[in-house]
Amino acid sequence: MPRIELRNISKHVLNDLNLIIEDKEVMALVGPNGAGKSTVLNVIAGLISYDGEVRFDGRKMDRTPPHRRGVGYLFQDLALFPHLTVAANIAYGLKVQGYEAGAIATRIDELTKALHIERLKERYPQSLSGGEKQRVAIARAVAPFQKILLLDEPTASLDPQTAKYLRAELGVLLKRLEITAVFVIHDLLGAEEIADRIAIIHKGRIEQVASPETIFFHPGTDVVSEFIGRPNILTCDQCRVLSSGLVEITSGDMRMVLPYEGDMIGKIAISPHDIYISNTKPPGPAINRYQAVVTEIVRHRSLVRVRVAIGKTSLVAELAEGIFDEMDIAEGREIYVVVKLRRLRYVESM
Amino acid sequence: MDREVNFKRLAIAFSICVFFLYAGLVLSLFHFYKGPLFLETLCSARTLFSLKLSLITATTATAVSVFFAIPSAYALSRYRFFGSQVIDTILELPMIVSPVALGALILIFFNTPAGTFIQERGVQVVFTVYGILLAQFITTVGIATRLIKAAMDEIPARYEDVAKTLGASPAKAFFTVTLPLSRRSIIASAILTWAKALGEFGATITVAGSMAMKTETLPVAIFMRLASADIEGTAVLVLILLAIGLGLLYGVRLLAGRPSYV
Repeated sequence: MPRIELRNISKHVLNDLNLIIEDKEVMALVGPNGAGKSTVLNVIAGLISYDGEVRFDGRKMDRTPPHRRGVGYLFQDLALFPHLTVAANIAYGLKVQGYEAGAIATRIDELTKALHIERLKERYPQSLSGGEKQRVAIARAVAPFQKILLLDEPTASLDPQTAKYLRAELGVLLKRLEITAVFVIHDLLGAEEIADRIAIIHKGRIEQVASPETIFFHPGTDVVSEFIGRPNILTCDQCRVLSSGLVEITSGDMRMVLPYEGDMIGKIAISPHDIYISNTKPPGPAINRYQAVVTEIVRHRSLVRVRVAIGKTSLVAELAEGIFDEMDIAEGREIYVVVKLRRLRYVESM
Repeated sequence: MDREVNFKRLAIAFSICVFFLYAGLVLSLFHFYKGPLFLETLCSARTLFSLKLSLITATTATAVSVFFAIPSAYALSRYRFFGSQVIDTILELPMIVSPVALGALILIFFNTPAGTFIQERGVQVVFTVYGILLAQFITTVGIATRLIKAAMDEIPARYEDVAKTLGASPAKAFFTVTLPLSRRSIIASAILTWAKALGEFGATITVAGSMAMKTETLPVAIFMRLASADIEGTAVLVLILLAIGLGLLYGVRLLAGRPSYV
């Protein structure tokens, strides 16, 4: 279960990329399309030639062919062997590596049970649903006791509900297998759910490698900040538990009621997408609703960022250009702000 | 809407025309068909020899062609290497050059010092059964490679990548994934190659001649019967060749009609 070191890797868009993935760590590679995320996986697997060095536990792997690297790979298109049953797909790696029939059967039973696909063993891939195929592909990739697992957009083709469920299971499985895993994902929220650390890649270079919390609360570069949507970071001055699972925090001149199980929040990050602005007073209870003054309007491609001041506290809201143009908003004007609690991120205070 | 219907009818009329063209040619054979003569010609030692020689040479040439075609097709389908474009183009040589010209090329080769050396120190090819095999092999190997390459192009290379990451060497990935997935197409290609080899005439007669009971394959026998104005005998031999050919094509249709893996 090795530590992976990528040193000065150049290939296609990758430009002198350096990255270390610790032993048994689950690392998410996140970045925009064309950033080189999948190329990084192909380099680790040895499926493409590259300039630079790849080391597993300090051992140079550059001349080791893919079939001797011990790297399992879950491709985005899954590529289940259509001429083999589910059981035979899972057994493939074990068979080519010369495992005995008894050991193969035990491993198939173990993995099909862990991934809840026991009843599918004799079926062919063509007859499986998207989620079932995904589970079979995961079982096949980890079956031959691989030391490293690479996953390219493991849940991209699934509906959000199935994807969320599968991500949770995958997270448990990866920890149980004690395997070093690197996965590519375009959705930052998905990455956060299972990754120990996130590496943000942009134009073939690593912008920042850090825990999900650090990425959100301390984006290392402007690119990272832009990528995560330039969240509003609020420091909590006071935190009061209202009832079980509900707290009221004070940050500057703002008071917010949040769903939260602990008792001390240090900071919260709110995406500018989740801050709604309106010229008129919104209907409904006055929770998390504020009067504010527009202090700055910045047009950015097809989006408009509107900075508002709630007392001395400053927030940025982001809305589509079309919606903005329909509203009567100008600098210095009074408006209403509603904070949606959809994707809040917290840091507990020490 | 009317235009659409008219266009559909016109297209179908063309296809029926083509059918009647071939059907008319085949039916005309029966004008010269005589029951007793059919059996007599079929069971004659000379026809049986031609039939046996044709079946053996076509089968052997197909086996050798497919043996060469599978790895060549795989290489051309999966790898880009120096000269791959040239090889890909030259595969069409048997399709663009007439079989007689191909036969002439073989004969010319055996008149060069290298060819003479092979004939004197190795195998006598010209005017022997080996000549038939070589002529059939040369005319079919390019087509076999092209057909199998088309089948392998259809199979995503991704399957092999998966196999490699699971511990299979490139050769093992080929034998356990690519080959089984293209098996049906390879069999269909082999049948078409066999049909082509069985019907091969131009190159065969140029290289191996037309010696009765020695190098007379079925197509050569048809030509010889026709040359001696034996139309009834020719009709019988053509019927035999047609029966084998159509039977094979039907077999290919059955294979191709089955649901594909990919």
